[in-house]
Amino acid sequence: MAADYVSPIDERVRAAEPLAPRPVSVSGRRVVLLDIRKNRGAEFLDRVETLLRAAGATTARAAKEIFSKPAALGLIDEIAGRGDLVVEALAD
Amino acid sequence: MTTDPRPLGGPRTGGNGPGGGRGPAPGLRVRGTGPGEVTVSSLTADGPALLLFVSEECPTSAMALRHLGPLCRAWAEAGLTSTAVFEDPLEVAIRVARRRGWTGRVVSEDAPYETSRDYGLVSVPTAVLLDRAGLLAGRVTGWDQPALAALIGAAAEMLGTPLAVPPATDPPRKPGCSSKAALDPELVAAMSGPAGGDDLEEMFERGWTDGLPVIPPTAERVEAMLGAADGTVSLGLVPPAMGEATLERVAACAVLAGCRPAYFPVVYAAVRAALDPAFNLHGQAVTTQPAGQLIVVNGPVREAIGLNSGMGALGPGFRPNLTIGRALRLVVTLTGGAMPGALDRSTLGQMGKVGFCIAEDEEASPWEPLHVERGFAPGQSVVTVIGSDAPLSISDHRSRTPEDLGYVLAWAAASTWSTNWWPLAEPSVFVICPEHAEMFRGAGWTKQRLREFMFEAVHKPAGDLRRGETTPFVHAADPAAQVPKWASPEAIVLLVAGGEAGRYSAVLGPCTGMGSQIVSREVEPLWPPTT
Repeated sequence: MAADYVSPIDERVRAAEPLAPRPVSVSGRRVVLLDIRKNRGAEFLDRVETLLRAAGATTARAAKEIFSKPAALGLIDEIAGRGDLVVEALAD
Repeated sequence: MTTDPRPLGGPRTGGNGPGGGRGPAPGLRVRGTGPGEVTVSSLTADGPALLLFVSEECPTSAMALRHLGPLCRAWAEAGLTSTAVFEDPLEVAIRVARRRGWTGRVVSEDAPYETSRDYGLVSVPTAVLLDRAGLLAGRVTGWDQPALAALIGAAAEMLGTPLAVPPATDPPRKPGCSSKAALDPELVAAMSGPAGGDDLEEMFERGWTDGLPVIPPTAERVEAMLGAADGTVSLGLVPPAMGEATLERVAACAVLAGCRPAYFPVVYAAVRAALDPAFNLHGQAVTTQPAGQLIVVNGPVREAIGLNSGMGALGPGFRPNLTIGRALRLVVTLTGGAMPGALDRSTLGQMGKVGFCIAEDEEASPWEPLHVERGFAPGQSVVTVIGSDAPLSISDHRSRTPEDLGYVLAWAAASTWSTNWWPLAEPSVFVICPEHAEMFRGAGWTKQRLREFMFEAVHKPAGDLRRGETTPFVHAADPAAQVPKWASPEAIVLLVAGGEAGRYSAVLGPCTGMGSQIVSREVEPLWPPTT
């Protein structure tokens, strides 16, 4: 018979959040560039920002407190309010 | 809701609800907890009866027990008896029923599950309503809240009194699991018999392991670990997968790790400390670094549970040290989901990630112990967690002055994290062996004096550090500027532990770039320890 075990795992299943619709074009869209503060991530975002502006997007910059912690909920809310799209620079 | 189109017996394939074929209910071949035999006539002696066929492994059965269980008592007062019929051993049935909040009667049937077969079960849960004449009056298969509400409504009509119906659920319907009566008997035997009963192997199959054999977390063992503590209490969410660390799950991890119940308050304190946001367990759990979570225990609890702070203090041989550290790591990997190679992305890892719990030898130390430095009273028992690398042994059998020894110890750490990564902001932990500690005691050196000496001893010109990985600080500094290995003397943590003989201390390099702070928690007596 199967024994009566206590699971060490949180068995609850979380429903996956659907992906937001992908844009056909970035022209006229507000793009937030999120720097997670990994080394040289800002340099990468500088280049991406130049390309996005050339493609007609408006841009804004945001940064996490530190790369090794999840973004604060306040920052996520702020990004959601400021932009239509987000580009996140992950690592060096 | 549809009525049961099937007259009696045989597999049921129709809809759910009251009504259907009204024939005599098949007899019950079950075992109960009371002295008397459980029969259809005994259950329906005072009114209608609800049978709920369930099994332990079935999540939908658990759902049914949880939602219907709290209503059973009120139903009984109104004249409806309710009985959970488990396709499991009686001892399992009792525990599962209690855990799920079932307040009705509990009975159990053994293989080959003749009662389930006679009732034509295809899946569990199945609820069957019998009227007071012992006739079948309806059934609901799976979790089907509207149909169950109608079934209870039919019972209420029989009694002429309203009955509480199960509350609406999301989802309102959920398919059940195969009844064991519907399985091939040989398969049931294989699942139930000794051939399939290697519980240690089952732990590997379930993934409840760090790669070593574990102690299966049976309900009895977890209950013993919890003692009088409430297993539903939450300690918070464990990153990175944010599983909730209920006390029961933490206790399950402590059982898996091999802890005795007397160790559990230390595990509890360690988990609480590790979940403090200042510790940044999230970063430590998923990093490519080798970071482990070092646990340092101070105070009377060391002796009370037999933690080793003497010979081999950083090594094998002592159950409390090995299992407490392992329990915290199992909470991180199982409850928190940081399995190596999955969400744990550590490039190499290190054995400290199996678990690393040490105790300070306060009695052999010339200095105030770690927990007193951190603001606790000497008589308090305290757990301190530190994100750290693996230990690096430092042999010194030749120093004859505290200056020479302090120099050797400090420079041993010069290459920790990375050869030219200076200064380190995060703490390096030095474990000073008793013979080394005696040299500092004899010279009258305080802990702070040694810490400041070590800090001053390890400096290099910035120009010598500009090779490979180094810090922005080094790049910005004048090449001739002296750069220290540590950002401040406070980044040097000093502990005393180890055997009386032998001049081997050790340094554990830091976990860097995490903003991870040292966190301490008092060990609280949440148990009446007996073993």
